[in-house]
Amino acid sequence: MLLLELFWSFVKIGFTSFGGLSMIPLISAEMISHGWMTAHEVSDIVAIAEMTPGPLGLNCATFAGMRAAGILGAFVANMGALSPTYTLCAVAAIFFDKFRDNKRLGEIMTGVRPACVGMVAGVVVDLVLVNYAEAGNIHLPSVILGAVDLILLLKFHVSIPKVLMLSAIAGVIMFGVIGL
Amino acid sequence: MLAKLYIQFLKFGAFTFGGGWSIVAQMKEIYVNREKVITDEELLDITSIGRSLPGTMIGNIAMFFGHRMAGFFGGLACMFGMITVPMIVLILITSFYTAFQNNLWVASAMRGVRTAVAPVILSALMGMVKSAFKFPPCYVIALAMFGLYFFLRMSPVWLVIIGAVLGLLMCEWYERRSH
Repeated sequence: MLLLELFWSFVKIGFTSFGGLSMIPLISAEMISHGWMTAHEVSDIVAIAEMTPGPLGLNCATFAGMRAAGILGAFVANMGALSPTYTLCAVAAIFFDKFRDNKRLGEIMTGVRPACVGMVAGVVVDLVLVNYAEAGNIHLPSVILGAVDLILLLKFHVSIPKVLMLSAIAGVIMFGVIGL
Repeated sequence: MLAKLYIQFLKFGAFTFGGGWSIVAQMKEIYVNREKVITDEELLDITSIGRSLPGTMIGNIAMFFGHRMAGFFGGLACMFGMITVPMIVLILITSFYTAFQNNLWVASAMRGVRTAVAPVILSALMGMVKSAFKFPPCYVIALAMFGLYFFLRMSPVWLVIIGAVLGLLMCEWYERRSH
C-alpha cells in the first residue's frame, strides 16, 4: 500500500510539474503531508539534488522513495515521477507533427508560469521560516550566512553547486567548530 | 539498437549537473554533428515540446528521441538509460545521509547548506519571473496563488490546474479583444 501511495504521490507531482524548481511546492506539500520528510529534509534534498547529476524531480523521488520504502520505493517513486513521459510523451511522439505547433500548450503555460512563481515564492517564505530560526527565535549567524549566499548568487553569479559547497564548509566551521 | 541507445543515454545521464541543458548540448554534439541522425531543427523541436509537456524535461526529451530512433521501446531504453546513474548516486547519498544525519560534522554541514537553499530558489525564481508575466492579469494570478498556497495551504496540484485553466481563458480573451 505504501508503494502504491508513493507511486500515486509522484504521479501527481509528475503531471503537474513543468520543469526544475517549479516542482518544489508540489514535492514539499506531498512529502510533508505524508510524513515522508520534514521541512528541514525538504531543504536538504533540494540542496543534494542541485549538487548531484540528474533532474531535481527524480532526485527527490529517489530520496523520498528510499526514505519511505527502501530501494524498491525509490524505483516506484521514479516511475511515478516519469509517468507523464511514458504515457503523454509516448503518445505525443506518435503525433509529433501535430504537437509541434500546438497553441494550447503555450496558452496553458501562460497561466501555469505565474502560478508557479506565486507558489515558489510561498516555498521560499516557508524555507526562510524554518532555516533561519532555532527554537522559534531568529538565528542570526544563519541569517548572515544566507545573506552572503544570496549576494554570491545574485551579485557575483557564483554557480549553485559552488555556493552550496561553500555553505557546507561554512556550516562545519560555524556550527561544528565554533559552535554558534 | 536498444542497448546502444540505453548506454548512450546512461552516459548523458551521468553528466547533468543542475539542469537538463547540458544533455541537449551533448545530444547536439553526438547526434547532430557527428552521427547526423537528426537535424538541429528537429532537436530544437524535441527540446521545446519536451519542455512544455508535464514531467521531467530530460526524461521527455529522451523519450522523444528514442521514439524517433526505435519506437516506444527505443523511448523507454533512452528514458531508463537517463535515470540509471542519477538514481544509483542518489540511493547511495540517501543511505549515507540517513546513517550520518545526526553526526555533528554532517549535521553542521547540512545546517550551513540549508541557509543557502532559500537564496538558491530565490535566484532561480528571478529567472522564472522574466517569462512569467505575459499579460497584466498574470501578476494577479501569481499573487493569488501565493496566498492560496501559503495561507490556505491549498494543494499545488489544484493551483497548477487552476493556473492552466486561467491561462487558456486569458489567452482566449486577449485574442478575441484583438480581433
